[in-house]
Amino acid sequence: MSQPYPPIQSWVVPHAAMSATLTAVVQEGQGVRESGALWLGRRADISRVSAIVFPRGKGVEATAGRWKVSSEVFGAVTRWAKPRELSLLGVVHTHLHGIPPRLSRADREYSVQVPGILAIVIGEGDEDRDHLKWGWYVYEHRDYRRLLDEELAQKFEINSKKEEDLCLRVANSDGVFELGRL
Amino acid sequence: MESQANPQETKQVVPPPAKNEDVEVTVEYLPAAKPFHRVYGGTSTVGTVRTDAMSFFGVSDHRDRDTHQFFLEFNGQRLTNMAQVLDQLLGPHRKGAHFNLVEQITPGAAIA
Repeated sequence: MSQPYPPIQSWVVPHAAMSATLTAVVQEGQGVRESGALWLGRRADISRVSAIVFPRGKGVEATAGRWKVSSEVFGAVTRWAKPRELSLLGVVHTHLHGIPPRLSRADREYSVQVPGILAIVIGEGDEDRDHLKWGWYVYEHRDYRRLLDEELAQKFEINSKKEEDLCLRVANSDGVFELGRL
Repeated sequence: MESQANPQETKQVVPPPAKNEDVEVTVEYLPAAKPFHRVYGGTSTVGTVRTDAMSFFGVSDHRDRDTHQFFLEFNGQRLTNMAQVLDQLLGPHRKGAHFNLVEQITPGAAIA
């Protein structure tokens, strides 16, 4: 039987994905509530983020202290993603000013817990544009482990060399839609 | 009249519901690269499929400060009757079934 979670050696994140994520979370959070994004792509030895889904509205709880995506939204994203052969690679969310970009206990417990999945925390009220200052975590051995700076440099490529297709969508508990629909 | 169908004959051409026919089951889970595939008899229950899929994906129901439960979705609907057999769920003429496995987290449902 094939492995559901083949090991990931490195991730490629298009520059456009970084920009789109930041733009969307800033716009959605407005500096007063957390927001976030789901990074999707084909899970492989080198996994590339090729789609981003921004959960919003119905089925999403976004407050100053938490960002929670309901199972209904995850169901809708699954129905959209799987026919496109996309898997969840990482969950990005923001922390407001004064809250360090670290995974809290609640974040760890609430996040998806499968090997190799990323959890990324954007700090400074979602205005921190330096991704090296974000909190980068990977789920290994039944817990999230913060990636060291050297690992980040080795395992992550921010690809800005060429234009690549990047699919951007929004989602709520009713489904996944073109950007701007919600 | 020749053009009129005989009600008796019409009834006879309707095939009976499938009974314990093999069902090719696929279960998808968003973080996984590969789906779970297995062939089940029609009298297998939804609960059996759920348990096998959870085992394949390495997840389990558990409690921390919240309660984490996994459920199957079928045609966008959450399946709650774990005793329901596939024949009942799928009806006749179904050779395959496609489910999604989704985690439900109920906040604060566990004792701190």
